[in-house]
Amino acid sequence: MKRSGALVASIGVTALVLVGCSPGEGSTAVEVTVAPSGLPVQGETLTYDPNRLVNDGEVISLDWWLWDGDEVFQAFADAYTELHPNVEISIVNQPWDDYWTKLPLALRDGSGPALFNIHNSHHDNLIGYLEPYDLPLDALAADYLGVDAHLVDGQVHYLDYGLMTGLVYYNADMWARAGLTEDDHPATWDELREVAQRLTVRDGDRLTQAGFSFNSLFREFSLGLPYQEGQHLFAADMVTPDLDNPTMLSVVERFLDLYEVDQVGSKDFGPVADESFGQGQTAMIYTWGHFYGSLLEDYPDIDFGTFRTPVPDTGEEPYAYDRYNGESTTGINAGASAEEIAVAQDFVRFSLTHADLMRDLCLHYSVLPMYTALADDPAIAAHPVLSALGDVDRYIWPGPLPAAFESSVDVMWEDILYNGVEPAAALATAQQTVEREIAHDGFVSRENHYAAYPAER
Amino acid sequence: MTTIAPSGVPADTAPRRTRRRLHRGERSLRTTVVLLVVGFNAVLLVYPVVSALRGSFHRWNPLNGTYDPIGFENYATLFTDPVFWRTALNTVVFGTVVITLRVAVGLALACAIFARVTRWKTFFRTIFYLPTVTPLVAVAYVWKLAYHPQIGAVDTVLGLDINWLYDSTFALPAIMVMTVWKDFGYAVILFLAGLYAIPEETLEASVVDGCSPAQRFRFITLPLLAPMTVFVVVTSVIAYLQAYVQILVMTGGGPGRSTNLISFLIYEEAFVKYNFGYASAIAFVLFFCTALMTVVSFRLAGGRSLLKAAR
Repeated sequence: MKRSGALVASIGVTALVLVGCSPGEGSTAVEVTVAPSGLPVQGETLTYDPNRLVNDGEVISLDWWLWDGDEVFQAFADAYTELHPNVEISIVNQPWDDYWTKLPLALRDGSGPALFNIHNSHHDNLIGYLEPYDLPLDALAADYLGVDAHLVDGQVHYLDYGLMTGLVYYNADMWARAGLTEDDHPATWDELREVAQRLTVRDGDRLTQAGFSFNSLFREFSLGLPYQEGQHLFAADMVTPDLDNPTMLSVVERFLDLYEVDQVGSKDFGPVADESFGQGQTAMIYTWGHFYGSLLEDYPDIDFGTFRTPVPDTGEEPYAYDRYNGESTTGINAGASAEEIAVAQDFVRFSLTHADLMRDLCLHYSVLPMYTALADDPAIAAHPVLSALGDVDRYIWPGPLPAAFESSVDVMWEDILYNGVEPAAALATAQQTVEREIAHDGFVSRENHYAAYPAER
Repeated sequence: MTTIAPSGVPADTAPRRTRRRLHRGERSLRTTVVLLVVGFNAVLLVYPVVSALRGSFHRWNPLNGTYDPIGFENYATLFTDPVFWRTALNTVVFGTVVITLRVAVGLALACAIFARVTRWKTFFRTIFYLPTVTPLVAVAYVWKLAYHPQIGAVDTVLGLDINWLYDSTFALPAIMVMTVWKDFGYAVILFLAGLYAIPEETLEASVVDGCSPAQRFRFITLPLLAPMTVFVVVTSVIAYLQAYVQILVMTGGGPGRSTNLISFLIYEEAFVKYNFGYASAIAFVLFFCTALMTVVSFRLAGGRSLLKAAR
């Protein structure tokens, strides 16, 4: 009798605890019976009409997984739930390192979130779990650049909201001390070499300030600058990697000359160039737009400026200024319930047509907006990184490159700089490694989606 | 004649029943505990190991559901992969040097603390053991900073200008020094325990017999410490064949491949390239090498000490 009483009591306590932990607890969503009215339709070609009920006004909760940018993404969720108070969107931050194993496994076992942020480097692991966007592709392509490069079997599962690419950062104080002004921003690589020499400081034979450093930032320029001279990362079949070519070799030698001929830096001075820049030891580095956020957060005392990546020849428009990678829009879980998918589709449409929030998102991550409505936006034009990049259509995307490209280029450069391997031999090894490692990936380059891609190649 | 207990139960059978009941209770407790341990190992050890073994014969990515049988292709690739052989060589060099230094430094300091003349023995034991209980990730970050060529303590204190972690001559030795510093305290404590276990009269007898301190160490202390030495070596072999945290934090396997170790290669293949099949194949080769080296260590050191004990 006592035992059964204890059993009943423990079940009761457990039930109370479970009820206390149930998703309904603390929910701010409320049932809605009357659709909003009189609200403006937002968007350009692709539009969003908020004057209707979502999920028939019934309460629904969606989880949204992401690894960063809680506040800027929360603004999207807040704006949407303000329009549709019956919807609750709970943002769950998973650290980057865990995100890419937890997310696919959760999607696979059916416990994944309805909405989740995507980085296209994990395309292969996620594409099988993604619900295609339920959006008119013509309207989407009219408002967003690069949509066709994201077509999979004629459908879009995510696209780019912003373009991330490379540029040169310089220390403004060192720049001024060297007697340089904004008029001295180098437009060509030869000009950059001259400026770097003026920015280099020595104490006797000892380097105390590097004019330019690229230590540990090898993949950024090596996989982008060959495009300036029309050299692609893939052969015409869009499948065979092409790292071992004369153009890539010339890029390697150009950067080696900065250390060996001009001596504006050293492989042993500031082993990680962006850290060295942040520590005030290096005057110029080339890296991608995301470094802007790191500078503000980690090195707030550094006064810096930016300029566009130099090109080989004065006055000549390169084939492309650089490689870019897109920051991706939110994915929808194909395994979610029909109601969740419907609301998620509505939320994605809302997000893609909200110019103000999209602008804030692009500014937050220092990416050029792919939303054409923001092409001439004054806030974008005033951003230190985005203002330096210029035309969005002069950057090329090779697709979500397999990790083998970046790791092989890093090893290639370390072998050249630190292990005494000849550049040509290191390039050949990198080519073999990448070929071997992506042989079974089924990767197909998107280079042929670039507007200036030659008709005959 | 049977004596009847007041309760009506035969007097000689009552305690037997109690004993049997106790015995049964104890037996069921033991069975439960054993089953729990077996179940725990089956779920968290045997099942993953068997899954990984099966996976090593597949092109396998659990994140997107790829699981295509490819026979021995992963193993064939592995044995013809120059990166694997370079990594294997690095692992052998790393393991041999670090284990040797760990044993040598650990034994030397244990003997120094054990000596009668040494004071503040507990203090020294604590100091030497401190790095062992400090998280390896934290230690690796601190040492990485210390090895920085411009702002690092190592170059500043020694008056050198060496880019420790980016020079292929120094990178692996630099990581070895950090690893020995981190781990020697473990060996000190174990060797001290071994030294305290040596019978006092044995050492006194050697003094009476006229042994010099060196002879006493060579012919008494070392042989009697052999089982502990085997234990330290075997646990070190297992630990250092699996070392990867310091590589991940300090060099990422570079420059080039000069500090790449087997376990780091497994990590890279599995969690960077999502090539779980190939990573599993490497893991099984490592597993067999670890088992083989453990057996060899036992045979060599254990056999010799037994032989000497018999003499």
